[in-house]
Amino acid sequence: MVTPEAAEEAVSCSIERLGNVPRPGRLVALKTKDEVRAALETFEAYIVGVSAKFAGAILNVIRESLPDLKTAEFQHLRRVVSFEYLPQHLQTRFGIIRYPESDIRDETDGFTALTRAEIRYLLVSPITAISQSGLIEVLAKKPPFLDASALPAVFTIPVPALAPTSAEQAAQWTRDFWPISYKNTNPYGPHPSLVARNTADIEEGAGTYLALAEAAGEQISELSLGEKVGCVIVDKTGGDEQIIAVTGDCRWQSRNGGPMKKEEPGNVMAHAVQRGIAMVAKKRLRVAGTNPESISSSKVFCDSPLTDHEKHFYSLDNIPPNGYLCSELDIYITHEPCVMCSMAILHSRFRRCVFSRRMPLTGGMTAGVGSVQGDGSTAVVRNVSGLGHGIFWRPSELNWKFLAWEWIDTDRLDTYLEVKDTLQA
Amino acid sequence: MDEEEKVYHERFMREAINMAELALASDETPVGCVFVKDGEIIGRAMNETNRTLNGTRHCEFIALSQILSTHPISILRETDLYVTVEPCVMCASALRQYGIRAVYFGCWNDRFGGTGGVLNIHSDPSVDKPYPVYGGIFREEAIMLLRKFYVQENEKAPKPTQKKTRELKTDILPLDIHSPKS
Ligand SMILES: [Zn+2]
Ligand SMILES: [Zn+2]
Repeated sequence: MVTPEAAEEAVSCSIERLGNVPRPGRLVALKTKDEVRAALETFEAYIVGVSAKFAGAILNVIRESLPDLKTAEFQHLRRVVSFEYLPQHLQTRFGIIRYPESDIRDETDGFTALTRAEIRYLLVSPITAISQSGLIEVLAKKPPFLDASALPAVFTIPVPALAPTSAEQAAQWTRDFWPISYKNTNPYGPHPSLVARNTADIEEGAGTYLALAEAAGEQISELSLGEKVGCVIVDKTGGDEQIIAVTGDCRWQSRNGGPMKKEEPGNVMAHAVQRGIAMVAKKRLRVAGTNPESISSSKVFCDSPLTDHEKHFYSLDNIPPNGYLCSELDIYITHEPCVMCSMAILHSRFRRCVFSRRMPLTGGMTAGVGSVQGDGSTAVVRNVSGLGHGIFWRPSELNWKFLAWEWIDTDRLDTYLEVKDTLQA
Repeated sequence: MDEEEKVYHERFMREAINMAELALASDETPVGCVFVKDGEIIGRAMNETNRTLNGTRHCEFIALSQILSTHPISILRETDLYVTVEPCVMCASALRQYGIRAVYFGCWNDRFGGTGGVLNIHSDPSVDKPYPVYGGIFREEAIMLLRKFYVQENEKAPKPTQKKTRELKTDILPLDIHSPKS
């Protein structure tokens, strides 16, 4: 959480003069497409309860009987669990079962009720590995079930199919499914330490840039030339942060420069992100000594600055001439960018992306059934599904990836930055 | 597709190939396109990402900017696109937002194709109307142009490249361009 005061200190004097008040809030890293998939996929597994002293022997007989069982595929699931570590619902379901014990015979019925401390619950295998009757047959070959007068108790439960991607998720799954082990790695997205480092790096300035993006969208909207969507492009590679471009949406500007009749979809190529990327390119040309206006470009791209904010930041020669596209740059956007703009950000090799309001019907960044939890006090709790593209991190399919966050504004209600829900930002 | 239709579509894809050849001669990624309304070409362009230093200046965007500088946006609803390489995810979304009528393309793009190569932006759930796509028209020629470009780029590279990579391969199965994923 960043207080407005702390964020204000991070503001460069040029923004202060523009009357920019940082937004209070915090960053939540987006889940990747694969993380979302991993969070949803489960399989059914057999659980067998047995006295602790037989746990090893039972696992051995299972290994011998199921030689093709790939235990590496469910390494994230604890194999042997005592009663006290079971999730609440399984404690209730398993209860205290009476188990046949070949060596401790009850006088009356040949069973002994194992105390909770003695029982171990074994995760045997996915149910696809063996039938339940087959499993019982295997178990009955060895003590304690050998010669026992009752069959072993076999349960079937759902368990997460893939490894957890964070400690929080592991803890959640341990409560919801079965005890999970977590090895501080993330095969389905950016490594947690990478996310943490980058979150810390940009958290202080994010509220400032988002407030500026909001103002950029408002300025153009006041001219009736666009929707209230804005973006800010920042270079934070050096010690001092540089704002490279500030743009608003310009979809309602007609060919002659004035507002056009607002008939959907308007000029799609004049979305705020497209204009921001175009201004970065023009600035690079200019800094390298080429007049960007000499490179023929259509007015339809709306890539010249229109408002005070846009003009101010476009005029600064604060970008290295030798950079490649938008690599090393960060982009802050008031709304989750549409699929076109999300891919434009990827094509432009951006380093990091932050947006404020989710666009479940049109956004290209979020990876799917998203649930952002509030911190219990002031944060907005949103629970929405999306298109599921997760364009920022699909490294096995797309040829670039970057880190992306959603900004949870602590100050406003859900109406903050509200737009028509079908808007393509 | 009957013979008459095939001839019709190939005529426009030939024009798109010509634009891709122009791109190759201009050190741009050899992808070209034409937009066609009522049998007339209303826009034609090649990729311009290198010249503009802008990674979004794909041929579709350049041609769209030409068209929209003289026509109303609504004309795109009666317009078809012919492009030598499958539209990327970005262009596929732009075309859908603009309401393009249909897209015809040469080869698939499995690095960032948006109409079947990687994603299905033309037909996935969306607030915008889906559009049909037809791939494979002059596919080999579209791929050959891309290959020539990679050879050309390798030759320009300052570091000496292995001779093998500089040879122009004539079989039509480069690693990064193939048929749509099932
Ligand atoms: Zn957009
Ligand atoms: Zn494209």
